[in-house]
Amino acid sequence: MKLFWGRAGAVARKEVFHILRDPFALAAALGLPVLMVIIFGISIEFNMKDIPLAVNDADQTRSSRMLLDRFASSGYFGIRRVVSPHQAVAELTDQKARAALVIPPDFESDLISGRQGQLQLLIDGSDNSTVGPVSNYVNRIVGAGAPALYDLRTRYLFNPELDSRWFVIPGLTVVIMAILSILLTALTIAREWENGSMELLLSTPVRPVELIVGKLAPYGVLGIIAIAFVYVIARAVFQIPFVGNLAVFGLGSLLFLITYLAQGLLISVVARNQQVAMQLAMVTGMLPSNLISGFIFPIESMPTFFQYLTMLLPARWFMRIARDTFLQGSGLIELKVPFLALTFLCFAMIFLATRKFKRDLEP
Amino acid sequence: MESISITARGLRRSFGQTVALKDVDLSFTAGHMHGVIGPEGAGKTTLMRLLLGLLKPGAGTVEFSQAGKPVDFDIVRPSIAYMPQQQSLYPDLSVGEHLDFFKELYGIERKAYEVKRDELLEITRLGSFVSRPAGQLSGGMYKKLGLMCALLRSPRAMLLDEPTNGVDPISRREFWELLYRLSDQNILIIVTTAYMDEAERCGMVHLLEQGELVAEGRPRELLMKENVRTFDELFLRRGGHG
Repeated sequence: MKLFWGRAGAVARKEVFHILRDPFALAAALGLPVLMVIIFGISIEFNMKDIPLAVNDADQTRSSRMLLDRFASSGYFGIRRVVSPHQAVAELTDQKARAALVIPPDFESDLISGRQGQLQLLIDGSDNSTVGPVSNYVNRIVGAGAPALYDLRTRYLFNPELDSRWFVIPGLTVVIMAILSILLTALTIAREWENGSMELLLSTPVRPVELIVGKLAPYGVLGIIAIAFVYVIARAVFQIPFVGNLAVFGLGSLLFLITYLAQGLLISVVARNQQVAMQLAMVTGMLPSNLISGFIFPIESMPTFFQYLTMLLPARWFMRIARDTFLQGSGLIELKVPFLALTFLCFAMIFLATRKFKRDLEP
Repeated sequence: MESISITARGLRRSFGQTVALKDVDLSFTAGHMHGVIGPEGAGKTTLMRLLLGLLKPGAGTVEFSQAGKPVDFDIVRPSIAYMPQQQSLYPDLSVGEHLDFFKELYGIERKAYEVKRDELLEITRLGSFVSRPAGQLSGGMYKKLGLMCALLRSPRAMLLDEPTNGVDPISRREFWELLYRLSDQNILIIVTTAYMDEAERCGMVHLLEQGELVAEGRPRELLMKENVRTFDELFLRRGGHG
């Protein structure tokens, strides 16, 4: 038994030396948990505030204004006035609003004559993460005091049955692609450094750009095949509708794929060892694409700073492209902001990865 | 293609507080087999990496010349082959796959490649191991494969960093026979080694110790000058570890 503890102790001491002499591993072990708890703890918020609500008040009476005051003062909603039900739907399609409230012209007269005031609530059903809270908050406001006062009819746009798979599976495309692309490439160059083959490669006439393209191309093809698989499974097995343009979805997928492949490459170039590359891939790719891309938790409910921070996340933009092309039929015009952002991030990642790629063995 | 000569002037390189190479002047002339000899930590690998531009010198320069005329490194780079000390081949790729891979990196035409490949497989006697993964080769075979990959492009200069390190005596002898064949083709060969007996196999030896060039010359002349019989004896006298 003494021998056992002696040997185990020796191994443990050796490991302690490894950890202490590898500042990055130490920083990763101690710093990352703190950083992750702070970032994800603050940014992940189930309670929503200031949900953009498009309001078409065709009645324009004291009763309708009183009702809207209750919405505005609740803190849950930010009111966006629109002039017609048609514009209210457009606000939802353009993602300027998460829900829309339509008050018909005879709202007050119905109330005065003892009938229930008619109200129509339109909710963006393509984002299940907001549907629950929005319905809940609206019912709380409308139903406060006298439950029978209003007749609230709710319609879910883009996902009428609120099938959670319609919401989850297009989003899963993003998460799967993020994991696949970033992990595979993050390890590829780091592996060359770790097993010493990079020294040999650098002594050959191969140029960095040739190495980068050669490294990325097979994983790019793998990624495209994976996207095709996910798409076919989503359509054939889970019967998810695809109402958008396949070319738009394909273009978005390609941009996203290249961006994350380049990010993986950047990690690989910087890390030079597979263990560190894996940790960086987890922290900068997998976790954010799961937790702060809007996949599970709505971005609108995050503190303002983190809402801006997510703009640096390619997954956030592709999440929008994937869901909107699948369920809303959005095209390049409606998705111009996500496409522009993704294109910018794509070029930035390629630029950084190429710039950081070294042609020598300098530390 | 003309042979290549390399001249290092005042080459210095430090890693933190450790000075790996101290103001070294060296001349490697075309058509000779140069041995850079020294115990571990003498600065041999650093020297090789500096010559190849894989590390930047803290001071000093590396100059290349071809047919007696100075040339830029980028011009001669495709004609210089390198075999690093660290195992740097891909364990899952077979002998044949390695050769195919390096053929593409060097941009060798198919016909020329096939001739070269067959020739190399014959002289290294690895012909019957073409489909064996590098990870399953013996130490000697592995080194020969490394040499084959370096030789594919018919280099005019070869830098071999401890190519026989960890290889059994028979494989070492075979490896040196291969190098002799190459030196007959007017190729500049620079070999680093910590095996003192290998110094005598070189045309010119350069003795490094703790980052300094302590002696150089033809092996026999050097031994006579230092009044010793072997390089082992020379290093022991100098207090080296080799």
